[in-house]
Amino acid sequence: MKTLAMKALAAAGLLAASAGIAHAQDVTIGAVLPLTGPSASIGEDQRRGMELAVERVNAAGGVLGRKLRVIIEDSGGRAPTALDAAKKLATVDKVPVVMGEYSSGITIPTAQYLVKEGVSHLNIGSSSPRVRGIGEGSFSVIGLDDVSAKFAATDVFEQKFRKAAFIAPNNAYGQGVAEEFKKNFEAMGGQVVASILYTAGQSTYRRELQQIERAAPDVYVYSAYGQEAAIINREAFDLGLNKTQWYAIYQTMCTTDTPAQIANGQIGMEVSAVGPAGKPYEEAYSKKYGEKFKSAYSGYAYDGVMLSAAAIAKAGSTEAAKVRTALAEVGRKFDGVTGEVVFDKDRQRAVQPYLRTRYQNGVLPR
Amino acid sequence: MFDFFIHAVSVAAIYALVAVSLNIQAGYAGLLNLGHIAFVGVGAYAVGIAHHLQWHPGLGWAMGIAAAAVLGFFMSRLGRNLGADYWGIATLAVAEIVRTIALNEDWLTGGAQGISGVTPLWSSLDAGSARWAFLATVLLVLALAMGLSSRLGAGRFGRALRLLREEPALATSMGYDLVALKSKATVASAMLAAVAGAFLGHYISYVGPDFMLASETFLIWTMLMIGGLGHVGGVVLGAFLVQAIYASMPFAKDWLGIGSDVAGAVRLGLIGCLLLACLLWRKDGLVPETLRKL
Amino acid sequence: MFQFVLDVLIRTADLALVAVGLSAVYALVKFPNVSHVQYAALGAFLTLAGQRLGLPFALAMALSCVVTGAVAVLLNTLVFRRLLRSGPAIAMIGSLAVSMVMVALMLGVAGSRPLRYDFEIVSPLVIAGARVSHAQAYSIGAALLVLGGFAWLLYRTPMGRRMRALATNRALAEATGIDAHQVTNLISLISGALAAIGGTMLAMTSDVHVNLGTDLLLPVFAAAIIGGLGNPLGAAAGALLIAVAETAVTNLNFGWLVGQPLAFLPVTYIGAASFLFLLVALLFKPYGLFDREVRRV
Repeated sequence: MKTLAMKALAAAGLLAASAGIAHAQDVTIGAVLPLTGPSASIGEDQRRGMELAVERVNAAGGVLGRKLRVIIEDSGGRAPTALDAAKKLATVDKVPVVMGEYSSGITIPTAQYLVKEGVSHLNIGSSSPRVRGIGEGSFSVIGLDDVSAKFAATDVFEQKFRKAAFIAPNNAYGQGVAEEFKKNFEAMGGQVVASILYTAGQSTYRRELQQIERAAPDVYVYSAYGQEAAIINREAFDLGLNKTQWYAIYQTMCTTDTPAQIANGQIGMEVSAVGPAGKPYEEAYSKKYGEKFKSAYSGYAYDGVMLSAAAIAKAGSTEAAKVRTALAEVGRKFDGVTGEVVFDKDRQRAVQPYLRTRYQNGVLPR
Repeated sequence: MFDFFIHAVSVAAIYALVAVSLNIQAGYAGLLNLGHIAFVGVGAYAVGIAHHLQWHPGLGWAMGIAAAAVLGFFMSRLGRNLGADYWGIATLAVAEIVRTIALNEDWLTGGAQGISGVTPLWSSLDAGSARWAFLATVLLVLALAMGLSSRLGAGRFGRALRLLREEPALATSMGYDLVALKSKATVASAMLAAVAGAFLGHYISYVGPDFMLASETFLIWTMLMIGGLGHVGGVVLGAFLVQAIYASMPFAKDWLGIGSDVAGAVRLGLIGCLLLACLLWRKDGLVPETLRKL
Repeated sequence: MFQFVLDVLIRTADLALVAVGLSAVYALVKFPNVSHVQYAALGAFLTLAGQRLGLPFALAMALSCVVTGAVAVLLNTLVFRRLLRSGPAIAMIGSLAVSMVMVALMLGVAGSRPLRYDFEIVSPLVIAGARVSHAQAYSIGAALLVLGGFAWLLYRTPMGRRMRALATNRALAEATGIDAHQVTNLISLISGALAAIGGTMLAMTSDVHVNLGTDLLLPVFAAAIIGGLGNPLGAAAGALLIAVAETAVTNLNFGWLVGQPLAFLPVTYIGAASFLFLLVALLFKPYGLFDREVRRV
């Protein structure tokens, strides 16, 4: 009995050791994604983008002659969990770069921790202007809301709406986009008649909707994470609010979990999922996953991985400090599937293309 | 990897501190406080707010301890004659109200965003040494707290609390003011919990309303019940045990290749089953309270 | 105005059935069963499972009631009766452990994504200028019907009499030959079924998710305590009161106070409102507003 146990233990140990050795050869980078929680659909899409990028890199020979591997941790849609995940990636896996998260309210504390530890951070999904202030070592592959809100406000104004009611989550993202939208919309002559930042994680938003309804707007401008947006859209439908036009900021995020019948007819804006060079990526995605893009964000995750691989190759090592310098250099001009990625002086994406969209059984360009 | 071990032990030590603090109320005095986590949250937020307003961290600590003491006093005076389980629900309600305030008052607490970037303790040292220094600090404070709590428990105050727990009528007839005793126990417990909360705030460098969810108090209670309600060493053991299960989950997840939902479920289920098993078969916990035999 | 009334009724329907079940069982077991709200979540999930297996909705719900009731009885017999020997506080902590295990099971099996029942999407009904969705209308109707049935059971049947007798004076009731275990088991079964219906109705108007039970915990307890634990119909009144408080608080326009056309209290404060209500009630009328709670002898 004892010898059997000893043998089993030895076998397990050998297995673990060999797995460890095999993995030790790989070049690893990290990612913190919302695989569960309200943005789970987006997290899955981001994961797919990363998967495609890893396949592509390894098919072309890997990085520094070794295989590339992304260690993906779940943030659970909560900052403390994301921080724990970042801690593990930085101290146990010792990766030089971590990508993530999606929600600005989670990206900011996570990135602050990472850059303090010397690990470089790549923002692949958050857009709050506060991301700019994270500091040295944090780079953004996606554009921020000072530009997107202006785009949205212009679009809404051009559609002849003048009295907007605004609803967004009460976190760094929602606060940022609410401020910027109001600023731009009112500068053009419109009026934000009601603005509510809802507390995330509730099971109903009925009362918030009833409160903004009282302001009698001619358009509801909203932005919300997938599962919460589904609740908001459904309750707006139940309250009859969808008789008034609804405008979504980042429409694929807002409609990814909402039944088509309810979301049909909404208009909005979105980051452009792919740039001019992105067609092959789009096809590869459809081929592998059997559907069109789940959201607009997989391409940014893809570009994040490619950027990291390029930086590591340029640095010639996986040492965090060298990779950080290399990232800045590679980001001077990088051809990604989402278009040309160029970092401005604050390491944020300088030019971000947006699309006007509408929803008809899917997000379509307008 | 070793860094992660230090991390796990640091967090366990902080939770052990919370467990020791709750033990004073729940173990000695038998007070069913289900809102205990509010004290921890108050301590953490005080540190965060002090950082936000750029005050000296010491001021944050002092504020937190004072605020927790006031909250504890208030809780203990709630419905002086409420039965144990009713009082428990009342404390739960108070903790929820505190959490709702923290969630809504952006200007003070950062709202749902919380306050991030709180300067860690020992920030003047480099990252590696800072980790060791923090661990040493927490363990030292934990040891102090355990010693203090044991002395308290063995002394007159502790005996009075136990009498309050077992024979309240007798205690009253002997001249003890039950409500005052309750208050003293709750306030002492609250202040210690606030210290733990302050440590937590500094350690994670982030304070958010999620700290004060009701589920967190339940976690602390699990640590107490499993370890041994009333025995200081027991509750610390309980804390480390539960924390070990919590910390090993991410690794088990990688090893078994299960999704996050299942991992979360397994973790929660394990703790729940452990607690239930303890209640059914080892009611006094792994390390039962030792009462002095006459 | 009518929208206000409807909103109150919808919220009451969410809470009432679960609160009534809780209160009814408390009368007999004398400890606050924290896992009761998880029966509601379990019921909602079981109905979903039934519907996914192809059963018509009503049948799925009926089966879910039976199963949840059975689970309630089992837990009562195997777990809570044993724990009660060590006192109500231990039993309460035990119920906490049980809820953890139940949530873990639901999370492991169903995942954390919110799920929805398979209904057609139809436009809401418009009654007197107020909008109510079909699901919400069913919810209100079901709550009224079931409550009526339960009240009839309690006050017009021999079983109900036995239950009330046990609740009022256990020793005397047992002396007259009432089998306490049998009655307790039956009431556990009924309260489990009530919770399952309540949970399913709630999930019908929102969605089925693992936190359904935990979200109900404090409002349901508040309703039951305000009505007086052990006074089941009082719990329904308590639910109504809480619904009124919550709806009034968020619908009141405080604009005149702050000099703006529209200003409302942040919605998350309504949770705090019901707890404040509860605290005040506990302080001044700890045995419930109707002061008919069964006192522990």
